[in-house]
Amino acid sequence: MKGVTLIPTAVKETILIEGHEITITNPDKVIWPEPKITKLMYLEKLFVLAPHLLRYCSNRYLTTIRYPNGINGKSFYQKNSPEPIPPFVRTAVFNNINYVILDNLPTLMWLGNLACIEFHPSFHYVDDELPAEWVIDIDPSLEEEPRIMEAAHLVGELLTSINIKAVPKTSGATGVQIYVPIVRGYTFDQLRSIGLFIGKYLVQAHPKLFTIERAKNMRGDLIYIDYLQHYHGKTLSAPYTPRARPFAPVSTPLFWEELTTGIRPRDFNLLTMEDRLGKYGDLIQRVQPQTLEHVLSFIQKR
Amino acid sequence: MHTVWKGAISFGLVHVPVKMFSATEDKDISMKFIHQDCGSPLSYVRSCPTCQKEVEWENISRGYEYEKGRYVVFHKEELEQLTAEANKEIRIMDFVNLDDIDPIYFQKTYYLAPSDTGSNAYSLLLEAMRSTGKIGISTVSIRSKSSLAAIRVIDNCIAMETIFYPDEIRGIQQVPNLPANPRVNDKELQMAQMLVSQLSVDFDPQKYEDNYRFQLMDLINKKIAGEEIKIAPEQRKTNVIDLMSALQASIEATKPEKRPRKPSSRQKAKETVS
Repeated sequence: MKGVTLIPTAVKETILIEGHEITITNPDKVIWPEPKITKLMYLEKLFVLAPHLLRYCSNRYLTTIRYPNGINGKSFYQKNSPEPIPPFVRTAVFNNINYVILDNLPTLMWLGNLACIEFHPSFHYVDDELPAEWVIDIDPSLEEEPRIMEAAHLVGELLTSINIKAVPKTSGATGVQIYVPIVRGYTFDQLRSIGLFIGKYLVQAHPKLFTIERAKNMRGDLIYIDYLQHYHGKTLSAPYTPRARPFAPVSTPLFWEELTTGIRPRDFNLLTMEDRLGKYGDLIQRVQPQTLEHVLSFIQKR
Repeated sequence: MHTVWKGAISFGLVHVPVKMFSATEDKDISMKFIHQDCGSPLSYVRSCPTCQKEVEWENISRGYEYEKGRYVVFHKEELEQLTAEANKEIRIMDFVNLDDIDPIYFQKTYYLAPSDTGSNAYSLLLEAMRSTGKIGISTVSIRSKSSLAAIRVIDNCIAMETIFYPDEIRGIQQVPNLPANPRVNDKELQMAQMLVSQLSVDFDPQKYEDNYRFQLMDLINKKIAGEEIKIAPEQRKTNVIDLMSALQASIEATKPEKRPRKPSSRQKAKETVS
């Protein structure tokens, strides 16, 4: 994919992707002012992200956030599929909402052209009750939280010590999410119960660092272990989704040891992703879906 | 203290006019039912489902349901007649030893005071019971209910305990799971007896307080003072740290051990991904 160049043209152009014609409007519109990324450039970067991003969006209900006038302009959450719906776009109805199923490149390009910047899929597959993976969200209370990577690393050490293999990923915003590939069969309730156990432990072990306090204004400057976000019907920023923030960050899976090297979320962005993916591929794919029986049965006995 | 009953103790030919007072009081804090929407205390209406109207006390009789839906009805006067004779008299039938009565029989205690004309007879009865160490068993009716009662001496006062009739007390045969032939290990019994004697003290009722009542009263006072009341459910304090260590240890134990027990965090971290 390296070096993909979409033909830059006038105000309106069509490109042919996988046999489907996709119209690109306003290709020169600036989406990120700093570094300057135009819509056309954005679509090129989406091209690079596509194989990975699609893996975590396909067969799920997609919520996307649109920024028609760039990341500093007005934005809105798009749950219902934009109309008209092109023939190559699959949709599925859930809770009376006709969601886009983002499972092919033409659909991604169509959404990209509509200035969809952030992709937030459901935790579960279409028509499924069970979660597709387990995620704990490590969410700082401060906009600038120098301890966030250290905190995520502590979570990783703990998970390792109880034989849970996980991958940390930047949310792209301020937090870090711990992504745990699992075999199908666990319920949201079960996974939250592990999350609570881990959360309580971390709060007791590091009371000056972590909190599981739900009320935002009670958290002070502590880092929130959000095990509660993991519910049927809720969403998470997908691995490899761009974020509508300065420096065009991308939610990026990391090596655990990278967390201790002074990295910043913004280091992983639309401009650096191609290199990184070329070098390491998708780190989440290195972890096999696993069972969590050994932890669940232990917790249930208590 | 207000008089709950007036009459006389009689034994043999002796007649002791007395007034009766409750010896104990229920300190439970009573609460009313309040309508949540407007805060008014509820009023209770006795109503007749057939006539669909409220019924005044004067139009209420008592009925005994002898079979489903069929009642024998009594007027108040009929019932009063039944207890009328006993009503004014505590008639002592026997004198017994206090130890002869199991505490299960005792119901409620009243103090008896001599009425204006009867203090000599009162002192005589009191002194006679004190010197013999006996208590009197009598019948008494209070508020149209007849009871058995024990008359005894507390310091320089005659007291009356209403006691249950034997057929009001359930037999222990009705208690499930009592061991038929209890077997006790001698050694264990000695240990238990030792423990009992170590914990043995003189009974000091002042030691015991109704915590619930004090807490409730405290809450009430705080509410009155306008403080916000929040009841935090008592947290079960499980030590998650210990639990986690237990889990880690059990996982460690099932692993075939090939690396050092405590690899550095960095090494561990790497293994999880690569």
